[in-house]
Order: sequence, then C-alpha cells, then structure tokens
Amino acid sequence: MRVRHPALALVALTATVIAGAPFVGPPLDPDTSAFVLWQLRVPRVLMAALVGATLSVVGAAYQLVFNNPLATPSTVGTSAGAVLGVLVAVVLGQPSTTVNLPWLALAAFAGAVSTTAVVAALAASGRSRMQDVLLAGIAVTLAAGAVATAVESVADVGQRFTVSQWSLGHLPQVGYRGVLVLAPLLALAWGGVFSQARALHALTAGEDVARTQGVDVPRTRAIALGAGAIGVAACIAWCGPIGFVGLIVPHLVRLAGAASPRALLPLSLVAGMGFLIACDVAARVLVPGHEIPVGVVTAALGAPALLALLAAPGARGPR
Amino acid sequence: MDRRAGGDAVTTLALSAVTVARRGVELLTDVSLTLTAGELVVLVGPNGAGKSTLLRAALGLVRLARGRVTLDDREATSLSPRERAARVAWLPQTSGVSEPLTVADHVAAARFRFGENEVRARQGAARALAQVDATPLASRPLASLSGGERQRVALAAVLAQEAPLLLLDEPANHLDPRQRRETFLLVARLARAGRGILCVTHDIGVLAGLPAEGSTRVVGLRGGRVAFDLALDSPALTGHLGELFELRLSLAEHEGERALVTWWTQPEAGEPPCA
Repeated sequence: MRVRHPALALVALTATVIAGAPFVGPPLDPDTSAFVLWQLRVPRVLMAALVGATLSVVGAAYQLVFNNPLATPSTVGTSAGAVLGVLVAVVLGQPSTTVNLPWLALAAFAGAVSTTAVVAALAASGRSRMQDVLLAGIAVTLAAGAVATAVESVADVGQRFTVSQWSLGHLPQVGYRGVLVLAPLLALAWGGVFSQARALHALTAGEDVARTQGVDVPRTRAIALGAGAIGVAACIAWCGPIGFVGLIVPHLVRLAGAASPRALLPLSLVAGMGFLIACDVAARVLVPGHEIPVGVVTAALGAPALLALLAAPGARGPR
Repeated sequence: MDRRAGGDAVTTLALSAVTVARRGVELLTDVSLTLTAGELVVLVGPNGAGKSTLLRAALGLVRLARGRVTLDDREATSLSPRERAARVAWLPQTSGVSEPLTVADHVAAARFRFGENEVRARQGAARALAQVDATPLASRPLASLSGGERQRVALAAVLAQEAPLLLLDEPANHLDPRQRRETFLLVARLARAGRGILCVTHDIGVLAGLPAEGSTRVVGLRGGRVAFDLALDSPALTGHLGELFELRLSLAEHEGERALVTWWTQPEAGEPPCA
C-alpha cells in the first residue's frame, strides 16, 4: 500500500501539470492565441516533459548502477563533455553571438557521447569495480573541464557570452522540430534503461552478489550507461545542461515511498516530467517580462524540496 | 527457462588444485574440494585461513592462479552468469543494500535468473521467507531489521535463487547462541532435503550439535591449505580441530547429547592438544 498511493498521486499530479502548464502566463490575445498556444507553449511543455523524464530516469539508473545515491549523469562526464563540445564549436566555427542550435547541438552531442564512451568502455571491461568507474567519471569530468578552460582562454567576449548563455539551460521552442528530433533518441535511452530494470534491482545487493545471482554485470553497466548517455547527451545538446533534475527527482520519488527499483524507474520518469514542467512555468512567470534560466529554477526549487522532505518526520531517507 | 537446473542430474562442485594469489602472496594453495547435492560440508579455520577466498574462488569472483573449478564436469568459467546462478547461490559474510527496500523486494531481486514478472518473483520470495519462518517480515523495511532477522532474510534471499548448491559464509554471524543453534539446524535440514551446502564458520561449538547421520564433512583450512577433510563422526576430528586452532578441546557426552568443550589452558608443547 505504501507504494501504490504515492505512485497514483505522482501520476495525477504530473497529468495536472502537463494539462495546466500551457495556460499559465500572460493572458492570450485572441488574434495570436492559437499560435502562442500551439506553436510556443505546447511544444515547450512537451520538450520539458521529455527532457525532465530523461534526466530523472537516467539519474535513477545511474544511482543504481553505481550503488551511489550521489551519482548523476554529470558524474560520468556527460555534461562536461557537452560543454567542451559547445566551446570548441563556438571558438572554431561560429564566431557569432546568436545561438544556432543544430550546429551547437551536434557539437554538444559529440562531446557528451565521447567523454561518456571513455567511462562506459572502462565499465564494460570485465573486472573493473563500480568505484573505479565512478573515479574514472570524475577524472574525465575534471579533464574535460581543464581543456574547456584552456579553450575558453582563447575565446573572445562574444563567444564566451554565447557559451555561458547556452550553459544556463533553456527550453523555449518554436514548433515541434526539437521534439521530433529528440523523441527517437530519448525513446532509445528509456528502452535501454528499462531493459536493465531487473538487473539494476539485483545490483542493489552489491556487485558480487548480483554476479552470483546471474547478472552479467559488465553488460548491464554498459547498456545502462550507454543508453543513459545518449539520452542525456541529446537533452543537453538541445537545451543546454539543466542541473539537479537527475539528482533530486529520484530522491523525491524514494522519499515519497516508492522504494523498489522496479517502481523507482517508471515513477522517476513521470515525476521528472512534472518537475521540469513546473520549474519551466515558474521560470516563465516569476519575473514578469523576463525569463529566468530554467536551470536556476530547478536548483532553487529542487534543493529546498529535498531538504524539507529529508527533515520531515518519518522520512525514510535514502540511507 | 531452466527453472530447476540440476533437478535431474546431481549437481557437483569440484575445486581441483586451486591456487589464488594476490600481489604475489598465495591466499589459497592447491586446494581440492568437492561438494555434491545432499552433502553438508563445514569449512572451519582460524581467521585469515582463506575460507571466504575459497568460496569466492568457487563462485568465479576471483581469478585463479592455478587449478580449476568445475560444475558438473563443465569448467565454471565456460558457464554464463545465469547458468552458474542456476547451480550455486552465495551468502556473503557482509552485505549492504544501497536502496531503501522492503524485505520482500530484496528477496524477490535474488530471483533475477528466472527472468519472471514481478508477481511471480514476489510469490517466490514469499516461499523463501516461509522456509526460514520469516513471513511476518515481508513488508518491513530492510533497515529496520535486527541482526538475527537480517541474517534470516539473507538466508531467504539465497533460498529464493533455488540453486541446488549453497555456499554460506558465516550464516550465524552476529547471532545470539539460540539463534546460532537454530540457523545451523536449519542448514542441516536443508542439506537433508537435498541441497549441497558448503558452510564457513569459525564457531566450532556448533559441530557437536549437528546431526551426525548423513554425509556431513568437516574441512579444516590453515594458511590457505586444506589441513584435513573428515566425516563429522570421525573419532580423529576433535584432535585435528584442536591442532588447527591451537586449543585444548574435548568432546563431552551427557544423556546422549554431545558438546565440544574448549579448555582455557593452552596445550603444553609436545602434548597432544586434545584430551
């Protein structure tokens, strides 16, 4: 019973947020309302749903893979690689301050996938331990950051502004192109993660026990990390790095009482949709006439929510 | 699906001249041992003798420097993780669970090899919990269990895997004397019911309490080598145990029950260590 009711509440809440989000904002002008609603707000909500779901479910999967409640997609170098890719692209090819998404998106995707591939290759090699993989992720993140700093030092002010704008994270969309580009990649990521749900469940008892229970640990790690990295890289490529979602949402789901990893993955997906849409609505309306970067809102809303839940009486912490 | 592997054939685990080394130091040297379904083999030895390493070698969790491990005459390394899980289950000495799971969730996860849906996994978990009289614990959070309850749930997880051979590393660790006795009686009962059990302990007191009938053996390990491999009812056992642990031991009998007595005085040099 403990699991079922919070699960229903989460799904209902997310459905309400999805349905209501397009109608939040300045009153619609009758002449432009159809365009604003169907070409701006609805695609933006869909994008937030896809990205929020992906970041959360991959965060939950990474926490299970690494047996570590602090693991996130950025732990294995995905975000750092994306930022590096964008920096290189801006410095080499786009000496302009306008963010041309497809070109930067490709560079971010290439950067994110290549840094993660280094870590995933180590994870897939037979005898490496989880901690080694986690350390490798931190090393790759630091290395990518160092290279990024070096590249930044040769960039001019305009280029730096472009990159810093991009790295704040953004969800605005005109039309459905972004949704259509991302959807297949994200579906691949979700499919990969969910195909390993049973193995991830077994991994909660520890790597060696999971091996003796029949889990092909290197294969599970490679699939979960690889699929997760593709999804996260696609999200970052299109929307910039949006922090905290992958860390916070799985913990919110755990604290809400959905403990079993079989429930954790699907509920993180649903809760992530609702969480990022709500944050994006707040980003749109909190300061009238001005948009706050959504990454700022995820941190500002998510961190206190997590602290409040941890401090609440009867909270079952993530141990 | 290979639901009850080893159901027809008798499953046998064999270690032949196994040597395990870490950084040039041999942890196990030329260890040979067999375990067949229906047998109870108690592996004893002082701390650091290599008991846990022997289990890990049998499970393929450590690389062998020399020797081989076979399961039903097939190289253990040639089996897939699932095929191996269908034959051998393991209770590690210490275990930690990273997620805030309930007991039923944790035990159900041990049934990975069956590739079944959640309803079936939960039914399997309930059967395993019933086998160790832990049914009332099913919906409790793992973190809320006492040491004795945790050990019983760990045993249930091993049983949930439904493997014919069980490798148990100190199954009575941290238990009080009564729970220790119950755990070992349960282990003996499982062996009588047809499982093959290799059970590590340094608690030699339980040996006198195990039922002597059937094929129960005691294997002593010292410095990574097999010191002896004897039937439980062998008259030479007490002497070998005393030598292994460098203790003065006697086997006392009272009204048909036996107890292994450890004396506090050290054996004199040259004196046989048992009385």
